[in-house]
Amino acid sequence: MAEARYYDIRCTKGEITLIDIDNGLIESAGTSYFDRTVVRVLGPEGWGILTRDHVDIDSTREIVALVEEAARLAAVTGDRVDLADAPRSLLPVPPLTEDPRDIDLEEKTRMLAEIEGAARIPEVVNTRARYTEGIDSVRFLDSSGNEYSYEAVRSGFSVLAIASRNGMMQMGSERDHTTTGFNLRGKQDLGRKAGEVAVSLLGAKLAKGGSMRAVLDPELAGVFTHEAVGHASEGDLVREGASVLAGRIGEQIGCEGLVIVDDPSLHEFGFIPVDAEGVAVRRTEIIRDGVLSSYLHNRETLAAVGDGVPGHARAEHGAPPIVRMSNTFVENGDAAYDEIVAECRDGILLIGSRGGQVDPGRGIFQFNAEYGYLIRGGETTDMVRDVSLSGEILSTLHDITLLGNDLKMSPGYCGKGGQTVPVSDGAPHILLENATVGGRGA
Amino acid sequence: MNREDLIDRVLREGERQADEVEIFYVRGQGVSARIKKGVLGTAEESETWNMAIRTVRDGRIGFSSTGDPDRWRECLDAALASGTIAAPQQWGGFPKSAAIEGTAYSADPNLIVEIEDAAGMVRDLLEGAAEHPVEVIGGAADLARSYLGIANTGGLFYGMERTVAAVSLEAIREQSTGYEFDASPFPADISARATGEMAASLAARSHGGRDIETGRYDIVLSPIAAASILGQILLPALSGRNVKAGRSFLADKIGEQIFDERLSVYDDPSAPGLGSATWDAEGVPTNRLIFVQQGVLDRFAYDLKTGYRYGERSTGSAVRPGGGEPGIGVHNLFIDGPRAGDVGEERAVWIHDVVGAHTANPFSGDFSVEISNPFWMEGGEQTEPIRTAMFAGNAFEMLRDIGGLGKDDRRVGRLTLPSIRLCDQQIIGT
Repeated sequence: MAEARYYDIRCTKGEITLIDIDNGLIESAGTSYFDRTVVRVLGPEGWGILTRDHVDIDSTREIVALVEEAARLAAVTGDRVDLADAPRSLLPVPPLTEDPRDIDLEEKTRMLAEIEGAARIPEVVNTRARYTEGIDSVRFLDSSGNEYSYEAVRSGFSVLAIASRNGMMQMGSERDHTTTGFNLRGKQDLGRKAGEVAVSLLGAKLAKGGSMRAVLDPELAGVFTHEAVGHASEGDLVREGASVLAGRIGEQIGCEGLVIVDDPSLHEFGFIPVDAEGVAVRRTEIIRDGVLSSYLHNRETLAAVGDGVPGHARAEHGAPPIVRMSNTFVENGDAAYDEIVAECRDGILLIGSRGGQVDPGRGIFQFNAEYGYLIRGGETTDMVRDVSLSGEILSTLHDITLLGNDLKMSPGYCGKGGQTVPVSDGAPHILLENATVGGRGA
Repeated sequence: MNREDLIDRVLREGERQADEVEIFYVRGQGVSARIKKGVLGTAEESETWNMAIRTVRDGRIGFSSTGDPDRWRECLDAALASGTIAAPQQWGGFPKSAAIEGTAYSADPNLIVEIEDAAGMVRDLLEGAAEHPVEVIGGAADLARSYLGIANTGGLFYGMERTVAAVSLEAIREQSTGYEFDASPFPADISARATGEMAASLAARSHGGRDIETGRYDIVLSPIAAASILGQILLPALSGRNVKAGRSFLADKIGEQIFDERLSVYDDPSAPGLGSATWDAEGVPTNRLIFVQQGVLDRFAYDLKTGYRYGERSTGSAVRPGGGEPGIGVHNLFIDGPRAGDVGEERAVWIHDVVGAHTANPFSGDFSVEISNPFWMEGGEQTEPIRTAMFAGNAFEMLRDIGGLGKDDRRVGRLTLPSIRLCDQQIIGT
């Protein structure tokens, strides 16, 4: 038999329920099933990884055969991998306020339709709402005798409104996802807000591009944190030489007082009770008082790089674990919102997020706001649309000049290496100097 | 029960409770050799099986899928239950078996799904990258083969094979990165060595870039950059569902000159490519579809559901990413037109790729993205690297008057397109 220094097996089976309502019509509503298993074997050098549907994890014969097969794969690798020891424990999963399985599909559809209907205000030409519910039943075991199982329940929705006037189209969208129970009740106000934003944007101006002062709202500042700091602190990117933060532990990379954290143990949308390698999860301070203090690690990257905390391995169904963020945020400062806008004097207030992307090796990131307002003389004035920001990881954190006191988390999904996992990001309002705003207005 | 018997059983069982039943299934096998820090770090192999069921009763469509054959009855029940909630609509039936003409150039009988072959491609990638003074940070070689089958209670039963060979490599020189990739059903079409060399060359040549001032410039979008932006904005606007739902910028513009007369956009499912197919994901025969002819918008894409609902015919444009519920998409989309001269002859900013295309506004066409590996271009040559900048524009406006199409057609996923020169575009520098 090919040599196996270590193996683990992670089986995720469960259900996904999706409801799609488009312009008042129920396009689809139903449940699908999956059952995926990933077997990893560490050979003399690197990993051999197998993915299969429908494996009987209790059948020793089946497991032995799969481990043997994965060991054969591992034999072709040439990258010596070692695994650091890491603490083990399984956190309790937060109790569900209401189990979504107790509500029938028809009732869920009716509630989603109310949210979608609330977005349909004058000048809105299209509304669409989608409900997503995932029930994951996870089982893990490894060759060191560790074993755990847990169930994760996620429930949430997104709503989109498109408004049109004289051939121009603008959109507003809202979403809310939780890991603590059924999440469709009493959410019509989010539908209405999506409609109102879409209609307001019909009268908004294009932003003028250039370098300026910017106030980011908690949602956008959360995405900024995720893109500007989070990815570059992931141990796999650091190890592979793909992060500008490599070799900078102990260096002042941001303003004094800045604390940036990733905490998988928080009961936010990125919560995991244990990581995908069976390692205990805990709060990790990536930046402490402006100084880079920890990388996010799995066992492999902790052994190779050091300077950080393990327990950050995550995996999509049927995919191998990689180092990921979970709940990433900037701790509160002490500035009030009004003070931040007044201090900005002339600049731009940016609200909401359409996502972002980073090239961590080059140290450049981009992210996009849903809308914003120009700030003149310390007051918000005209509404603007289609505004992106870009920045450079190594300089941008020094440009934060005020931290608000109103931290708020927002749920979302993050893509890396072809895998998508639920995360949350957050921050208080922040004031940023020298922000590069990508607008095409005159 | 073998797989064919299972299909038959589900159809027969479903037919007792619904007017019509359709099954789409995929079984596949793939290997992947991944590069970690310049060596082969991880070897992966996967097997997948998925069955998607649609039921139709009184114009209500139900759907469910499962990756576990033992749960077929639960899956069928879930599809039927889902059908009781979906809004009823006009429905003219699943397609009957037809004489399918032509061949899909979607599979290579010689492609072998073996990790040793993928490992060989990794060696070629690394050998190519070694031609430049860079560090290789990541990359992969993938080989996959899958079988797609569709059957319905009208007697239709089609099957086809797909193969994919794909390579990618990411390199870095100090703070300058370069990424390249290639994919085809046919391993002979791709050169792992050339892909490795190009990625390393990009990282090496982009090193030491200078700043650019904010202003308006002529630019050349590489096929990759153009595919990133147009994939996000143009493709959704051609979907009949978005058109009928009021979500497409192009909705009321059939017959209008929407783009430069040098631009045509068409889907050619019979061309060799990753989406090559003689029938679509609902079993409807595919055809060459011309969406935009010499700048004039001619038609939109439909699947059965949207077609029946709005009195349009399916254009054979149904696709199923991941084997799930069908939606409207493209098979092999070409952006094409006459080529005259060299798009990089006169001074312009060359943009290799963009960061953040997914944040574009697909309804208005507005986008503002960070650009990757930009160069000053002159006399057909990339002369001097530019450090960093953003590019802000509107995808529909910028195609109304283009500066020309390059001679460098390239396949980027399901799109095939040349580089595109655009005049007077907004660049935001530092």
